[in-house]
Amino acid sequence: MPSKSVGAEYIKGLWEENPVFRQLLGMCPILAVTNAVINGIAMGLATYFVLILSSVVVSSIKKLIPSQVRIASYIVIIATFVTIADRFMAAFFPPISKSLGPYIPLIVVNCIILGRQEAFSSKNSVGRSLVDALGMSTGFILALLVLSSIREILGMGTFLGHQVMGAWFKPWIIMILPAGAFITLGILLAVALVIESETKKRKN
Amino acid sequence: MNLSARMIVVLTAVGLISGSLMAVVGMLTKDRIALNRQQEIEAAILEVVPGTDTSEELFTEKNFTIYGGKNRDGNLIGYAVYTSGTGFQDIISLMFGTDPNITKINALSILEQKETPGLGAKITDKELFLRFWDNKNAGSALSLRKPAVRSQDELAANEVNTITGATISSDKVLSIVNQSLEKLKQIKQAGKLISEDNDAE
Amino acid sequence: MELLTLFIAAILVNNFVLYYFLGICPFLGVSKKIDSAFSMGLAVTFVMTITAVVSWMINHWILIPYNLDYLQIVSFILVIAALVQLVEMFIRKISPPLYQALGIYLPLITTNCAIMGLALLAALKDYGFAKTVVFGVGSGLGFTLAIVLMAGIREQLDLADVPEPLKGAGIALIIAGIIALAFTGFSGMIN
Repeated sequence: MPSKSVGAEYIKGLWEENPVFRQLLGMCPILAVTNAVINGIAMGLATYFVLILSSVVVSSIKKLIPSQVRIASYIVIIATFVTIADRFMAAFFPPISKSLGPYIPLIVVNCIILGRQEAFSSKNSVGRSLVDALGMSTGFILALLVLSSIREILGMGTFLGHQVMGAWFKPWIIMILPAGAFITLGILLAVALVIESETKKRKN
Repeated sequence: MNLSARMIVVLTAVGLISGSLMAVVGMLTKDRIALNRQQEIEAAILEVVPGTDTSEELFTEKNFTIYGGKNRDGNLIGYAVYTSGTGFQDIISLMFGTDPNITKINALSILEQKETPGLGAKITDKELFLRFWDNKNAGSALSLRKPAVRSQDELAANEVNTITGATISSDKVLSIVNQSLEKLKQIKQAGKLISEDNDAE
Repeated sequence: MELLTLFIAAILVNNFVLYYFLGICPFLGVSKKIDSAFSMGLAVTFVMTITAVVSWMINHWILIPYNLDYLQIVSFILVIAALVQLVEMFIRKISPPLYQALGIYLPLITTNCAIMGLALLAALKDYGFAKTVVFGVGSGLGFTLAIVLMAGIREQLDLADVPEPLKGAGIALIIAGIIALAFTGFSGMIN
């Protein structure tokens, strides 16, 4: 994939190839941790850290790794960064680490991360891989933010723990329940498709 | 270098570097993580046995620990029981405190729960739930007041309030406490609460 | 008794897909036909049970005694990857018909977060050996139940007039939401 400018490489992760809305990757964390905005942000930042460092490491040692053992090597590299992120959170942000429970270690099986190594970092330069990782993880954080904001505001009437809805507002508890996660994401996917097809129509 | 040798070398190198990196991080964060845990327990003990200056572990088994709280003069002023049980959805971990003779419950504190947000999760709410656990008679098993009442005065000495809309969660907390209370009494009677030195008396 | 409640809770109350959100990818990807959904469910149950046993042994015989808990994530994922490979080779040797039925799903399972989630959750909840195994089997069956229910509905959905943008993953997620809502009715039934 040469010919793409660095800017385009970054932008594509935000919308065109957004890992969640367009590629349907990383669904487990997206659904599981978006019951509060703070959890979504913490998850997003942890994924950011793991994806960027894994991409940089993989792209810089790609020539050394024989292709037969590449997946195993990628997994070990990813697991290392996930362990670091997990330990760091447990040590310095214990309440968040507790409420995210097993979902931080589960970043290791987040298909976005292994997917980017296999599809991009193993074929591109360090610089490009870094930009790609930045774009993809920003796209992932955006998706987490959108979903967790909707769920927290409608489900609790709060945003980042601050009351934003008036006293008249009765929280929709279903939004915080697992059912709310599935339904909201389903609707958001449809909205993303509508926006996509509308913009295409306008271009033509 | 032939292929299989290269594969082995690369995998070993990746494994060694990753392993040592994780070992370093593991070492660096270990104490801090243990400290966080200890601070959380200490804060909860102080909450359920007010006036605690130092505390020590008197009895422990899986999911059940009894701490003894001592005041500044080293006198035992109460027990704090840390335990967990199944709630509406998942595990509820809680701590409650009693006086040294186990005649009353001082207070209750919920440490971990995954009950339904907005309903069962109100078990962590001081105003709606926890304050109704202050100074309860622990002579016999506690019972739940249904439907919920508004003030402490309307409850009997061994009654605690229900959360409207979350009866099951309230009930689960009650049964965890009742079981542990019984267990605490038995363990004390059997004289298994070790290092209970009353030298100061 | 405790094991029985854990077993039922793992299937209905703390369902892997509908409560823990684990294994969403195969849940959405392999739920178009009941047959294939059922095979996928069986393959997952099978691997989950073995993973439960092996991860418990690693955790309690190696990681905890030698204070290597920081290696938990990497050792679990490597063991799962190796295990899936072994199971695949083993089934191919022992029972070609079973391999025909489950074969194509096995490689997909390595990156299935439900398997890793099982190993991590069992370690996090500090289950003993028997509980871990029961938790593994129950969670696998819970996954099977969810994916088969989903496939049953999606087969019928082929005849329904779904709005264009909702087709595919969108409507599948909304159905999952409704199933999840129905499953919340099981909460609190376990004492």
